[in-house]
Amino acid sequence: MINHMGRLLFILLLAVPLTGVAAAPEKVLHLALSAAETGFDPVMTSDLNTASIEQQLFESLLTYDYLARPAKLVPRLAADMPTVTDHGRTWVFRLKHGVYFAPDPVFKGAKREVVAQDVIYTLMRFMDPKNRSPYKFLVEGKIIGLDELAAAARRSGHFDYDAKIPGLEALDRYTLRVRLKTTDYNFAHAMAQPMYGIVAREVIEAYAGDTASHPVGTGPYHLVRWVRSSRMVLERNPYFRHETWNFDPGNDPDSQHIAALMRGKTIPQIDRIDIQVIEEPQSAWLSFGKGELDMVGLAGQFAPLALQGDHLRSKYAARGIRLDRISDPSIAYYFINQQDPVLGGMSPEKIALRRAIFMAQNDEEMIRVIHKGQAVRNAYPIPAGVAGADPDYRSVLDYNPELANRLLDQTGYARGPDGYRRMPDGSPLAVRYTSSLSSQDRELDEMMKKALDRLSIRFESEKLKFPDMLRAERQCRVQIRLSAWIADYPDGDNFMQLWYGPHTHENNASCYQDPQWDRLYERTLTLPDSPQRNVLYHQLARMLELKGVTKVSTTHIRNVLSQPWVLGFKAHPILPSVWAYLDIDTARAPRE
Amino acid sequence: MNLGAFLIRRLWQMVPTMLGVVLLVFFLFNWVGGDPAYILAGKMANPADIANIRHQLGIDRPLWEQLLIFVRQIVTGDFGNSWATQEPVSAIFRSRLGPSLMLLIPMMLLETATAVAVALAVAAWRGSTLDRALMAASTVMMSISLLVYIIVGQYVFAYLLGWFPVKGWSDDFWRNLTTYAVLPVLLGLMVSIAPSVRLYRTFVLDEIGQDYVRTARAKGLSEVRVLLVHVLRNAAIPIVTNVLMGLPALLTGAFLLERFFAIPGIGREIILAVERSDFPIIKAATVYVAMATMLANLLGDLLYHWLDPRVHLE
Amino acid sequence: MPPNASPGLWTLAWRRLKRDRVGMISLAVVVAYLCMVFLAFGGWIAKDWTREVGVNYAPPVFLPDDQDPTAVALVKPVAQPDQVDLYGLQDPLARQLAQIRAHDPVGAQQPIVARRLTLPLGGDKWGHDVLTKVIKGSETSILVGLVAAILATALGTLMGALAGYFGRWVDDSFNWLYGVFTAIPYLLLIFAIAAVLQQKGVSTIILILGLTGWTGVFRLVRAEYLKHKSREYVLAAGAMGASHARRMFIHILPNTSHVILVQLSQNVVGFIKSEVILSFLGFGVPVDVVSWGSMLNEAQNELILGKWWQLAAAGTAMAILVTAFSLLTDALRDALDPKLKY
Repeated sequence: MINHMGRLLFILLLAVPLTGVAAAPEKVLHLALSAAETGFDPVMTSDLNTASIEQQLFESLLTYDYLARPAKLVPRLAADMPTVTDHGRTWVFRLKHGVYFAPDPVFKGAKREVVAQDVIYTLMRFMDPKNRSPYKFLVEGKIIGLDELAAAARRSGHFDYDAKIPGLEALDRYTLRVRLKTTDYNFAHAMAQPMYGIVAREVIEAYAGDTASHPVGTGPYHLVRWVRSSRMVLERNPYFRHETWNFDPGNDPDSQHIAALMRGKTIPQIDRIDIQVIEEPQSAWLSFGKGELDMVGLAGQFAPLALQGDHLRSKYAARGIRLDRISDPSIAYYFINQQDPVLGGMSPEKIALRRAIFMAQNDEEMIRVIHKGQAVRNAYPIPAGVAGADPDYRSVLDYNPELANRLLDQTGYARGPDGYRRMPDGSPLAVRYTSSLSSQDRELDEMMKKALDRLSIRFESEKLKFPDMLRAERQCRVQIRLSAWIADYPDGDNFMQLWYGPHTHENNASCYQDPQWDRLYERTLTLPDSPQRNVLYHQLARMLELKGVTKVSTTHIRNVLSQPWVLGFKAHPILPSVWAYLDIDTARAPRE
Repeated sequence: MNLGAFLIRRLWQMVPTMLGVVLLVFFLFNWVGGDPAYILAGKMANPADIANIRHQLGIDRPLWEQLLIFVRQIVTGDFGNSWATQEPVSAIFRSRLGPSLMLLIPMMLLETATAVAVALAVAAWRGSTLDRALMAASTVMMSISLLVYIIVGQYVFAYLLGWFPVKGWSDDFWRNLTTYAVLPVLLGLMVSIAPSVRLYRTFVLDEIGQDYVRTARAKGLSEVRVLLVHVLRNAAIPIVTNVLMGLPALLTGAFLLERFFAIPGIGREIILAVERSDFPIIKAATVYVAMATMLANLLGDLLYHWLDPRVHLE
Repeated sequence: MPPNASPGLWTLAWRRLKRDRVGMISLAVVVAYLCMVFLAFGGWIAKDWTREVGVNYAPPVFLPDDQDPTAVALVKPVAQPDQVDLYGLQDPLARQLAQIRAHDPVGAQQPIVARRLTLPLGGDKWGHDVLTKVIKGSETSILVGLVAAILATALGTLMGALAGYFGRWVDDSFNWLYGVFTAIPYLLLIFAIAAVLQQKGVSTIILILGLTGWTGVFRLVRAEYLKHKSREYVLAAGAMGASHARRMFIHILPNTSHVILVQLSQNVVGFIKSEVILSFLGFGVPVDVVSWGSMLNEAQNELILGKWWQLAAAGTAMAILVTAFSLLTDALRDALDPKLKY
């Protein structure tokens, strides 16, 4: 729902290395975010910019391996991978010993170790109605006894954190047993989200009401300065345990190069991370280009400056600048509201109208003119790099304005005297396209206008502020929109649930409620990633096309440029930030 | 009327205006201002979550109750916490005021000094080629959009020529003033200086036509002395008022500069708040700026009186 | 008119204006622009600005040819609609599609329209002709500026006249409104009014500008009415039984018209510039309309891509008009206000 894609493209990482003391130059990484952060209480976080910082401040039980592709789960605060028994219903996590929270006055100078009870507290927090957590869906309805606790809290207004529930048990100081209501193979992914970073109860309670500005975690960095929506400074967490850079590069030559540079170094290498919020892409790009900065997420519209085809232009390559180019685990998809009085309905002429509108969308032109080549055509709801993806899937809704027009002719949408088509019953026809006020969305408006012009359908534009657009979408009042979804975790279910009937008014924006589809989808939930599940996914995807519910259009490409003195960077599809795994070559970095 | 009575009367008059501002903003933003709950709830929220958030924010209460809370907030000066980040609103404004003023005050000083100097010069040589050339030049200058100045200025002066940093802000007052604020201030001046020159020129010309100037000249005073002492002293009255009254608008008006140069000012904060429907910040911004505007007007009147005692306070 | 009657205010003003060379040149420029607007409005020129006549980012003709080979538009033939695997599902439109295929096989080659490699002032990202866009954009921007200025000036004049003429509680209430509107931060006022006017279009921009821009006119007109209402000619008109409305609008209004006219032209200039900022904030014209503001915002990212022509064309066209209009305003003020002698 959130335009994650745009946001990802604009996570602009930039850096200004500073000089330090002559003896050991301080390593500073200056980064930038393209949009303001919200606040650093992980339980309340919903956006990627904030998550990228929290990834460094807090640690979840699990995480994803830095170099393995496709993304692979590995332990973070856990000592090893959890033991799963009882068909994915009982999970036992063992914690690392000797992990301490970053220093904070609340601890009164003592070192505070992480124990199993902290994990229980952290998980409970997500269901506390007071915390209104955007990511509670990853545990809601899953852990035995937790939902009952939340229900009691809603009645009494007070969440009982001291309650003992069967779903969350500390077997000893470092061992946690989680019991789920039903089989859920994706629970491990939930425990790898940066929002599920472990917090300490006394800290949260001491700063009640203002937890957002007092993040105290176990991560490699801690927050030392925060000027809201402008600047954040992270410094190395003095209590961070000893960890060594030791990732397996596999067969990828780039990864092997990185591993050769980094292996055996202590994590983290960089002393300080200075992050500024820069909304205007021109400002961020020029800053990087001037050499003040270390890294920049290349905004799509500036791609032709830096890239020729898939490669870095020679003038940048000659400066030693490096390009990291990966396909985002995301999709951009058109949806049509199935409950709309004009476009909704399952009669053949309504289906024909919707499919004609989808077939008039020129994805190639969108990629070429708007994304400047920084996207690829992807017709399948599950993008590459996510379990269940199919790069060879072929759509029935590919760009074909001629067939679209014939289909409309055939189903009775005759052109009126003004040249525009009318409904089969002769009443006027117009399609209202909804988008936000940003200038990127204006380009999408132009695309949609051109598409509808091809069909001689009257175009109407509805421009809404982002919150209003969300509300309209949730209330099934949007007619058609181009939306985007980026993986929370690399499993196909995270995408397929976007059309599940009971998710209407949540994130099933097409308000599609089809028992046939829903039954098929529910069967996929009982299956792990497997060929059987993929067969069902293909039927689900095809049904969405045949009934004119959605057209998956493109997948974005993420380009990150880094200066020659940034060592060890490889873009990760799922991790929101990887700063702790980097190093700076102070000999090459310019001095201020 | 004596000063005390005047002050009391003027301050009292602010109450209905403030009430109007409060009502207008409250109803406009409540009626159409979007529902922050949908953003705060995240990507998988269900209607019950939305209702829970609306309840926590208090936007499910009757309008009159919300209005009452707003009024109480104005009286106590405590606007609560931001809906988006939980940070106290007052802390947000405290941290934003510095950078905004850092742009604003140098801009105002430079603008006034330059504009007065140019206005006096063109008035001294009124009707000459210099007058016409300067006026034409200033007209051309102000006819170009600020957006164009910023885009081109940042590209040429910061990037290509490297005279200034492209963007940025630090914690160091002098570094900000001498490094980061320079280009934005200069670009801001490009559009703001010309209207002032033109306005002040008319103020000066108004004074030059007065009898006392003719008398001063007849006494044999030099033209320079006439201009700098007699004319300027009288023209200063409308100039000072003009500068003062323009200040509050500038506070929010520099948002383009703040965004492109990544300066943590008030204008940028307001845009962000509107985008996120962060109502506590919108309310506070309105009240603070309205207050500043009215106080600036009052101060203008007082200064007017102080510079020219013939003007009666009424 | 008797030959020896003293010339009226307007005749005198026109004479003075005619002597002002800069004023006359400015007038000529403004009239030229207005002619262009008239022609564009009538559909005689720049009608087909939406046609994609050039390649994407076609450079201006006067530039040396350094076309980036990747920038040339690729025209691909339409993909053949193959039979794809339906995974055992039934196509609800199977019958319709079969009929279409039976009658007339789909997939005939689309005519490939040749696109020009250069355009007089270059092309935008779609290959629209920038020259045509500038002309069509002037129409929108100038009309927006003019209509909004007329609205703002009319509002300000009406309220100022009522307040100044009647005084007392009428004056108090209009002053209160003036106070409220000037005290609210302009930025928030724009957002608020834009939110109230849900439908997006040129009329929304006009209303935003008109409803926020009346305050300056109000203050000046009110002052004029305060001054005039106790003048002898107004009192005399009252004694002869002229109604309030007649006194306000037939007797006093002509004597304040020079103030109003100057305010009007100042507003036109101000509003044309404001339209750019409104576009930046996302309250600009809809996609099927082009304006200078929408062009400048589009061109925002094009400058560092080296595609500077749209920025230059729209920026220059706007600068020339606004300069001419401002100089004309100065000349008008000088011509209308005999007090200011050089």
